[in-house]
Amino acid sequence: MRLITAIIKPFKLDDVKAALEQAGVKGMTVSEASGYGRQRGHTEVYRGAEYQVDLVPKVRVEVLVEEDDHEDVLDAIVKAAHTGKIGDGKVWSVPVDTVIRVRTGERGPEAL
Amino acid sequence: MSRARSYAAARKERAADIDRWLTDLFRAATAQPYGREGRGVAPGRGTPDRFDERGAATHAGGGVALVAVGSLGRGELAPGSDLDLVLLHDGRDDIARIADRIWYPIWDSGVGLDHSVRTPDEAAKVAREDLKAVLGLIQARHIAGDAELTRAVREVVLAEWRAEARHRLAELREAADKRAESSGELAFLLEPDLMDSRGGLRDVQAMQAVAAAWVASAPGPRVREAYELLLDIRHALHLVTARGTDRLVLQEQDAVAAALGLLDAEALMRRVAEAGRTIAHAVDGTWRTVDRLLHGPAPRGRRPLADGVVEHGGEVVLARGVNPRNDPVLVLRAAAAAAEAGLPLSPAAVATLAAQSPPMPVPWPAEARDALVALLGAGRAAVQVWEELDQAGVIVRLIPDWERVRHRPQRNPVHRYTVDRHLIETAAGAASFTREVSRPDLLLLAALLHDIGKGWPGDHSATGEIVARDIGARMGLPPADVEVLATVVRHHLLLPETATRRDLDDPVTIKRVADAVGSREVLELLAALAVADGHATGPAAWNSWKAGLVADLVRRVRSVLSGTPPPPAPTLSPEQAALARHGGGAVRVVGGQVTVVAPDRPGLLWRAAGVLAAHRLVVRSASAASAGSTAVIEFSVVPEYGSPPDPATLEADLRLVLAGRLDIEQRLARRTRSLRPPRVPVAPPRVTIVDDASSTATVVEVRAHDRPGLLWRIGRAFGECGLDVRAARVETLGAEAVDVFYVVDRAGRPLVDEAQRAQVRERVLAALR
Repeated sequence: MRLITAIIKPFKLDDVKAALEQAGVKGMTVSEASGYGRQRGHTEVYRGAEYQVDLVPKVRVEVLVEEDDHEDVLDAIVKAAHTGKIGDGKVWSVPVDTVIRVRTGERGPEAL
Repeated sequence: MSRARSYAAARKERAADIDRWLTDLFRAATAQPYGREGRGVAPGRGTPDRFDERGAATHAGGGVALVAVGSLGRGELAPGSDLDLVLLHDGRDDIARIADRIWYPIWDSGVGLDHSVRTPDEAAKVAREDLKAVLGLIQARHIAGDAELTRAVREVVLAEWRAEARHRLAELREAADKRAESSGELAFLLEPDLMDSRGGLRDVQAMQAVAAAWVASAPGPRVREAYELLLDIRHALHLVTARGTDRLVLQEQDAVAAALGLLDAEALMRRVAEAGRTIAHAVDGTWRTVDRLLHGPAPRGRRPLADGVVEHGGEVVLARGVNPRNDPVLVLRAAAAAAEAGLPLSPAAVATLAAQSPPMPVPWPAEARDALVALLGAGRAAVQVWEELDQAGVIVRLIPDWERVRHRPQRNPVHRYTVDRHLIETAAGAASFTREVSRPDLLLLAALLHDIGKGWPGDHSATGEIVARDIGARMGLPPADVEVLATVVRHHLLLPETATRRDLDDPVTIKRVADAVGSREVLELLAALAVADGHATGPAAWNSWKAGLVADLVRRVRSVLSGTPPPPAPTLSPEQAALARHGGGAVRVVGGQVTVVAPDRPGLLWRAAGVLAAHRLVVRSASAASAGSTAVIEFSVVPEYGSPPDPATLEADLRLVLAGRLDIEQRLARRTRSLRPPRVPVAPPRVTIVDDASSTATVVEVRAHDRPGLLWRIGRAFGECGLDVRAARVETLGAEAVDVFYVVDRAGRPLVDEAQRAQVRERVLAALR
């Protein structure tokens, strides 16, 4: 199993949600986040004025998926979150040993 | 409404069962072959496990008793309640052993136990030090053993509670306030705590404790009924969740309603709200009685607050000889005065106003609108006053559409309050943003009405727009203002929704918002409302993340919208021009209109304003303009309270001041001293120098909370800076003044020097402090 974390632009959340549903992902955790990457928080020049923001608001999406699905899910997220401009975000995945559904105590892929 | 199922019999039965069980445990525990005569004998000797009925009887009569406090003590045991037990003894050595033999079986049975072992002296001591302990002990109930011991302890504890009522009740009140602050109000929370919320079970128990101190009477039948209902709901909640929880969370509400035989969660929550309001209202009365005990009788003086409204003994009451029957605005004036003074309306005044006020004429007179805006502008203090009026049915009579949102629960996890409380909380919160907008009155009204559409099916923003337009017209707002109000209600979610869901870097997003909003004024209103709305919704609805996104959106939209310049300097009407041609020295008083015509000279405007303030006249609006060497100033004024001053004296004083023969400053200072400082915190004043508004004068905009002599203070500050006020437009919206002054320096030129402009801003701000 894998944990996929995606940091995306807030307005792309609806698209990413739809794409994940398409890809068969049944649940996700969404939180409000802020941070910066390579561009150090600069957004593009807007109407002649450059807005300097230290931390840019982002949305963090986390999903647990089975090993076999994970490449597809990564692709789906990247495609849905893409605008081609700076600050589109990042997606990564890490292996997960154990998952337990709290209500039933099911373990492993059953709990996804 | 059908009655909810009662669990009173089940509770009684359960308490009786537990009593029997505890009595048996107690008997077994005290049935020892040693006892009084066996004192000092080390435990373990003899045959402890042999049951000796006779022995138990003798020991039970001698120096040990099992006492129930808390819900078992009151015989109100819900399925998930813990047992609160006290083992009283007169200093026996074997008490630890007896205690073990009672507590262990209880623990083993899985019932929660809150236990203590005390001698009478220890019990009295802990009662003196611990509020919770004393509250338990004054309602303690004897279960088994030495009844005389229980009686003696109760007697001592009660006697001390009465003797020390003064500071114990102060402690009780403080604890109740803290509890209410952390748990909120039963009637308005979507997931209330039945025990600890204001208006919850704990409040009734506090009333009983006050009654036990012989300070106020015990809760009446309505309160007892509400109390029983809450006990039943708590009982059902324990059954449904199989846990001793007191918080009625959303996901359990349907099941609890079903257990009680009620239609659905909404029917349940409306009943909870009703019971909560009944109890909160009664407990307020009890605390007022307690306060009288604590602080002695209220001062007898009556201090006027507004026309027909006076402060008396820490409450706001109607002035003597006022007849609410022919003054429809009195109710709102009294409410505004109470909120602004941070005082409650007296229950008698509310009852009189509710019973006798005639219907408000439709459209409302301007005075009624101003009073409503002033009430809302008082911020936090408005919430309590609003609640008092609403309980008496006054709000629904003023705004019939309010009925549809009253007590309306919201099945939405981010919301914390019922719709009506959310609206009034938003308005109270919006009061701190009155300086951010050019129309504080519309901000407050929009905040009050933004979710009014939730009373109807469909998208609440769309229905809300229609209802708000109706209400705006009913309140007598000019058509242009009604449109702004309706637009703000329609789009109250536009900024937060766009900011979190649309690409702010996309010019199309910005353009779409700009098109919907139309002007900077509306944008300001929406931005302030978004923050107030978010705060009043709940912790999940607003945070710095969202605030940052909304602020970014507002900044971008503002850059594509142009603002309306401040109103142009007023010009003279033909009639005024005719007056001016006659030259100086004329003062006309017609009703609430005061016209001053005098040779123009520095300081004329504010000196005239000072005279009006010294005569207890509040300037609602003013415009000043000059023609050649003659100035014409029009004031529209209302008396602060009482009858308006005699026009003749007013005129005489104005002439004296214009002739420089009356020290207005001294008179105003005297009046200011006699005024009571406002208790309610208000947003700090703001002074802005508006660029590009006029080529011949510098335009200074002042936004501040209105108070007597405001215009005089501002004008004098200009005078001290060596400036002359060429023209002015002064407006008071509710309790908020938005004033625009056109000023020039001694040479008649606008101010260009940045340092000088900063100094002007500083001086005016200092004068407003």
